[in-house]
Amino acid sequence: MDRKKILVAMSGGVDSSVTAALLVEAGHEVIGVTMKTFCYEGTPAHARSCCGLEGITDARKVADRLGIPHYVFDVEEDFTRDVIDDFVSEYAQGRTPNPCVRCNSNTKFGDLLKRGKALGCQGIATGHYVRSGVDDQGNPALFRGLDRKKDQAYFLWGLPSEILPLLHFPLGGLTKAQVRDRAREMDLVTADKPESQEICFVPTGDYRDLLRTRLQNRHPALEPGPIVDLSGQVVGEHQGYAGFTVGQRKGLGGGFDEPHYVIRVKPETRTVVVGPRWALEARGLEVDDLNWLLGPPAPGEEVSIQIRHGATATPARVDESSPSEMTLELVEPQSAVTPGQSCAVFRGEQLLGGGRIRQPLQNLAGRTGVQAQTPVKV
Amino acid sequence: MRHVQEEFPGNPSSPHRWGQDARRTLQAARDRVADVLDVPAGTVFFVRGGTESDNLAILGRADRSRSEGHTPLILYSSVEHSAVREAAQEAVRSHGQAVVFGVDPSGQLDLTTIRETLERHPDPSSAALLSCMWVNNETGTVLAMEELLEVARAQDVPLHVDAVQGAGKLHLAQLARAADLLSLSGHKLGGPRSMGILVCRDRSLLSPRLFGGGQEDGLRPGTEDVAGAAGMAQALELATHDREGEAARLTRLRDRLEEGLKEAIPDLRIHGAEGPRAPHITNVGIPGLPADVLPGALDLSGVRASAGSACRSGSSGVSPVLVEFYGEAHARGVAPLRLSLGWNSTPQVVEGALKIVPRVLGEIRSAGIGTRPS
Repeated sequence: MDRKKILVAMSGGVDSSVTAALLVEAGHEVIGVTMKTFCYEGTPAHARSCCGLEGITDARKVADRLGIPHYVFDVEEDFTRDVIDDFVSEYAQGRTPNPCVRCNSNTKFGDLLKRGKALGCQGIATGHYVRSGVDDQGNPALFRGLDRKKDQAYFLWGLPSEILPLLHFPLGGLTKAQVRDRAREMDLVTADKPESQEICFVPTGDYRDLLRTRLQNRHPALEPGPIVDLSGQVVGEHQGYAGFTVGQRKGLGGGFDEPHYVIRVKPETRTVVVGPRWALEARGLEVDDLNWLLGPPAPGEEVSIQIRHGATATPARVDESSPSEMTLELVEPQSAVTPGQSCAVFRGEQLLGGGRIRQPLQNLAGRTGVQAQTPVKV
Repeated sequence: MRHVQEEFPGNPSSPHRWGQDARRTLQAARDRVADVLDVPAGTVFFVRGGTESDNLAILGRADRSRSEGHTPLILYSSVEHSAVREAAQEAVRSHGQAVVFGVDPSGQLDLTTIRETLERHPDPSSAALLSCMWVNNETGTVLAMEELLEVARAQDVPLHVDAVQGAGKLHLAQLARAADLLSLSGHKLGGPRSMGILVCRDRSLLSPRLFGGGQEDGLRPGTEDVAGAAGMAQALELATHDREGEAARLTRLRDRLEEGLKEAIPDLRIHGAEGPRAPHITNVGIPGLPADVLPGALDLSGVRASAGSACRSGSSGVSPVLVEFYGEAHARGVAPLRLSLGWNSTPQVVEGALKIVPRVLGEIRSAGIGTRPS
């Protein structure tokens, strides 16, 4: 095996701790870094973790145990611009952002790459549950993690393709249980640390708190507006459309004869459109902000797509494709195709790339001029 | 220290022979420290490190004022170490007040704020404490102690000096005699880590923060670290022996270091050069470079540097000291690099660093980091 100098992103969690440990075990020269993305100073979580200090301290303890150097990279400025500002602006436009994808695509890997180069590293590693390798043609490629419950390929569709040959994902072939076992065997302090669930820059757990501090006073996204049904009739009032996401049931009030869901958020009129479950079904979707790890799939090709984390992939046919946007026809209708969320595109196990969902298409034929059969005007 | 540890294993509080020996050794260490500082031995208290010394001075004084029915008022400078800053904030949380006074890059203090605050106060000598560092730990800037002493005397307010950075590099005894409270740290003198001293002119200024045992005149109870005290005394003697010669040597090394860095990086800014500064710290700002990469890259190349204070550089962020001295825009626009020199620094070490720093900077810039290649 080639001994390489590898930069490992260590968040202070168990996954990245074991990642570093496995690379040390494999004989590489490993440098641990923690990316400081957000300062908790002045928030209620401050006492618990100042500037993510808890994560930094744990990562440093693990690095000391492994006998590797550990440094802190401050990427707060980039992160605020590329991830937090985008998160806020997406909600303000009635969409549902995916900040982890945004961070991987725009901040984390790019910053790691540059800093790794500066430190003379030949590789970059993270604790994602994905596998790196080569495809049939010998091109560098990413594949789903073997542990299907943990697979994180979905979060990585936006990586710059030139970075692929440098990436190491030692956890791609392991299960979460195996990772915890390894951490315990090696007596790493992070072995039994709970999974992080929250968005890292929303310490209160409620993203609307962040919107309230980041959007100017009386921003329309946080002002009351009408809740209307599919026929346009007002059925209630909401306290700000930024609190709603397509497919959501909570916060709509009762009084419907069958369960109602958010079908669409219309920022121009501050309206939240609700309807029964069938109205959530989409036959296709438009995706923009595309990124391809390999070339784009050709029109007519059947791929499989994943439209939320943890969901199973579903077959879709490429209808139209340009460098900037793509229309996909779903082989089976899907529920709650949410604007702003990610659409990761796979060929079998291999991650091809993906984009951001611009909008669901309730009836693909309707888009090409034929009127929709159902009286859906959303 | 090993000699003391092995020969005098007793607890200084024990009545038997071993205890007596340990007690004598501890007293000898205290006497030696008092000699160097030119203060009475009874005013020297051994504590656990510089942070504890700072905390005891500030919170011990606040408790004392409170026990006498006053609301404590801590006045401290805007460039204090976190040990002072956070202790003062803790005093505020326990129903106290704090006022921060400014410092300019030449070390001049905002005496107007201090005077006005104290003049407005009904009973400053019972309630207030002035706390100010002697030498700033990030830039080496020497703060204007004489003026501060005058104000403290005129208002009859006790003065605490955090002398952790200046000890051994500047004339310490003069300050130790003049201040009411003075903090020192062992490892900054090349002595034992986690050993500190608080000089306290008048024991009645402070209430203890720990209880049980009565050691150190009840001010810092707990079994004494006899070997640590002996090591501390030794370190202080060594650091102050030929202090002037050593300071001159370090100044030459520092000037050479800064001259060499300036040649390699023309738009370099030397922080703290506006006024008097301690000879052992160089703090420079490299424009157009993010602050986070340089320390790690230098470390991997064999140069041990930091972007600021070691306690904070783990979490990085912009330096409040540089913000105070040079403004937010400058502090955010440069990568600060702090290099310190000590008794083991030689011209070879400096020349070595001068070869490595520009090379590492070149590598960082060629990786696409930074805005202004030099």
